[in-house]
Amino acid sequence: MDYLLTSLGAALSMIINLNHDVESAVWTSLYTSLVAIVIAALIGIPIGAAIALGRFPGRRLLTTLLNTLMALPTVVVGLVLFGLFSRQGPLGPLGLLFTPWAMIVGQVVLATPIVANYALAAVAGADPRILPTAMTLGAGRLRGTWLLIQEIRFGMMAAIVAGFGRVISEVGVAMMLGGNIRGTTRTMTTAIALETSKGEFAFGLALGLVLMSVALIINLFLNLLQED
Amino acid sequence: MKPLYDLHGIRQEFGNRTVLDLPALTLESQRLYAVTGANGAGKSSLLQILAFLAQPKSGTLTFAGSAVETGSDLVALRRRVTLLSQSPYLLRGSVAENVDYGLRVRGIAAHERQSLVRLALAEVGLTDFSERRARALSGGEQQRVALARALVLKPEVLLLDEPCASLDSGSAARIEMILRQLPRRGTSVIFSTHDPQQGGRLGAINLHLAAGQIVSPPVIPPISLRQEKSPWLSVLTMQEA
Repeated sequence: MDYLLTSLGAALSMIINLNHDVESAVWTSLYTSLVAIVIAALIGIPIGAAIALGRFPGRRLLTTLLNTLMALPTVVVGLVLFGLFSRQGPLGPLGLLFTPWAMIVGQVVLATPIVANYALAAVAGADPRILPTAMTLGAGRLRGTWLLIQEIRFGMMAAIVAGFGRVISEVGVAMMLGGNIRGTTRTMTTAIALETSKGEFAFGLALGLVLMSVALIINLFLNLLQED
Repeated sequence: MKPLYDLHGIRQEFGNRTVLDLPALTLESQRLYAVTGANGAGKSSLLQILAFLAQPKSGTLTFAGSAVETGSDLVALRRRVTLLSQSPYLLRGSVAENVDYGLRVRGIAAHERQSLVRLALAEVGLTDFSERRARALSGGEQQRVALARALVLKPEVLLLDEPCASLDSGSAARIEMILRQLPRRGTSVIFSTHDPQQGGRLGAINLHLAAGQIVSPPVIPPISLRQEKSPWLSVLTMQEA
């Protein structure tokens, strides 16, 4: 118990004193995840809305595929993208491997199916009067869909938060594509995994606490918006 | 003058059920039409087709002299015709934001929109409601917001699905008063109603639908006549005798 309490004290002190390594890992995690979720939302929301509103052959199959992709193992995504980005791979010349951008691409792949699925469910469950209302007031299909998305913005927000939760907490992609390079691609999760294995339990705990706090802050923010 | 709508052989089906079957129907502009009929008679289906929100299964529809076909610019057509449904959907946000939506879609300048919204709200008696949350209003007030949202667009045709159903008498009277004035201001009005006397009260041309077809409306005897023939009255008279 003493060990845990001492580690917790050390962890809190690292957070309060803004330990450089903690700060760097937090920053890397936040910015890669935020950029990834913005891209995933821009791709996933239109895909989800199109599947929910469209009537085309193969729609059911596509929904099943999207559901399956939600359970995509992070290490598999890491592995495939590693193959693409490695020096001998087709995207090797871009020099993305072990850079934050490689991690972002992997996170986009992980988050997009989640965002799309949540968006699909939100659009499918939306009030069926929204689109006809927009249309009879003179909106075209695109503008009507935009109104629909605005009207169900809490569902959309949930989609984004779920996707963000997936990418900020994953280790596989960050480790395999980022390489856990101190100061550039070391994220909270990769640092926790590495430092704990090195016996730096307090350091891992500090990052764990920050990671949990980020999740809490995001959910509080979402709740505040919903009360509006 | 070209008729407003010309319908030929219009049929609408849901599954295997024919909900509308209109061999020929012509509606003139700047008139007030009341579509009556029982539940499931096809009133809403007809309004949906006239609002260009639903495509009939077969037949030809002509609006203001132009045929409405698969390739027609439906957005442009819908900007001339507005449908107010029985339980209108109000957008999140304020009353003013709701009334403003159609104007914004049309790209009208903000200052002009503001004064148009104000006028429309005054017309439906909701001047002081502009900043209130639309969804927090009563049923009658919400219906009036939806009417203002349609009126502000000055459509050539205003279609209304049971506009006064489930409204308090004050709100219903206000809506009826507005509807009566609209044809004179250049907006043709076609509304559906359950109330067989509402059309007469508004001086509307009655179209009675039964099982998807236009039929002569059932003759409703004047109240005094009905009382004389009432079976209850006969019973009472017999008892007194």
